[in-house]
Amino acid sequence: MEKRSRILKPSPSQGPHHSPVALRRDRRPSMFEREAYAQILKERLRESFHDVQYVEPPFDDSIADIGKEWKSALSKLKFANSYRMEPLKKFQAHPVETKIQQILKESLKDVKYDEKVFSHLSLELADQILTVVKDFGYHRYKFIIKVLFIQKTGQAINIASRWIWDVAWDSWVQAKHETESYVALVLVFALYCE
Amino acid sequence: MEEYHRHCDEVGFNADEAHNIVKECVDEILGGEDYNQNNINQWTASIVEQSLAHLVKLGKAYKYIVTCAVVQRSAYGFHTASSCFWDTTSDGTCTVRWENRTMNCIVNVFAIAIVL
Repeated sequence: MEKRSRILKPSPSQGPHHSPVALRRDRRPSMFEREAYAQILKERLRESFHDVQYVEPPFDDSIADIGKEWKSALSKLKFANSYRMEPLKKFQAHPVETKIQQILKESLKDVKYDEKVFSHLSLELADQILTVVKDFGYHRYKFIIKVLFIQKTGQAINIASRWIWDVAWDSWVQAKHETESYVALVLVFALYCE
Repeated sequence: MEEYHRHCDEVGFNADEAHNIVKECVDEILGGEDYNQNNINQWTASIVEQSLAHLVKLGKAYKYIVTCAVVQRSAYGFHTASSCFWDTTSDGTCTVRWENRTMNCIVNVFAIAIVL
C-alpha cells in the first residue's frame, strides 16, 4: 500500500512510528491502520487540512482528550440570545424568610432530638424547602438549601460562609429555630443564572 | 468559521481539585491548634476566605459559596443536609470533613457555572 511504502523510506533518525509530513493530500488512510487513528479523528472534527506530526501508540491520553473535547463541545447547547441583562423578578429575601420560618416552626413544633428521626428529617426538610422556594416563581434562579441540626449539649459551634457571586442579583436567606434540645438552621442561597 | 475554544477542557466541576485546596487551607489554619474561644471567629473567617481566594485563582468561570462549621469536640449530635436546584452538568459541590483532638470542621463548597 502506498502509505506503508512511504514509511520504509524515512531517514534513520526517525523511528518507524513517525509518519512523514504529507506534502500533498494523501489518500485517506484506512480505519485499521493504528497510526492513522488520530489523523482520522482530527479530520472528522475539523474538516480542514490535516497533517499527522507525531503519533504515539494510538490510545494515548492526548488522543483520548481530543475525543472528550469534541463530546463536551457537542453537549454544550447553544441558545439564542435573549438580550436580557437582568432577572424578570429579583429575588426578594423577606417573603422567603417569613415563609421558611413558618415551615420550620410547623414541622419542628414538638419534635424532640432523636438521631434516627433527624437524619432523614433533615433531607425531607431540605427537599420541602426547595419546592417551596421554587414555587415563589423566581425565574432563571438556581437555589442551594442547607439545613443544619445541632444538638445542644453545651459545646460551642461556629458557622461561617463566604461567597463570590453577582451582588446585584444574588442573595441569601437564613432561618433559625431553637428548642430546648437542639437548634435548627436553614440557609437558602439564590443565584441568578446569567 | 467561528469556533469558541474554552481554555480549559473540562466539563463540569472538578471536585478533587476543590477538595485538595480546601484540605490544605484547613490544615494550614487549624493544624495543631486546640479549640480556643477567642480565636475561633478569626479561624473560621480565614478558612473560608482563603479557600475562596484559592478557588478563584483556578481561573474558572464559576460562582462559589463556601460554608464552614467548626464545632468543639464533645458528645453531640449534628445533622446537615443540602438540597440544590441547578444544572447538574456544570455545577457541583464538595464537602471536606476535618477533625483533630478538640475540634470538628466541616467545609462545604458549592460551585455554580457562569454561562458566558
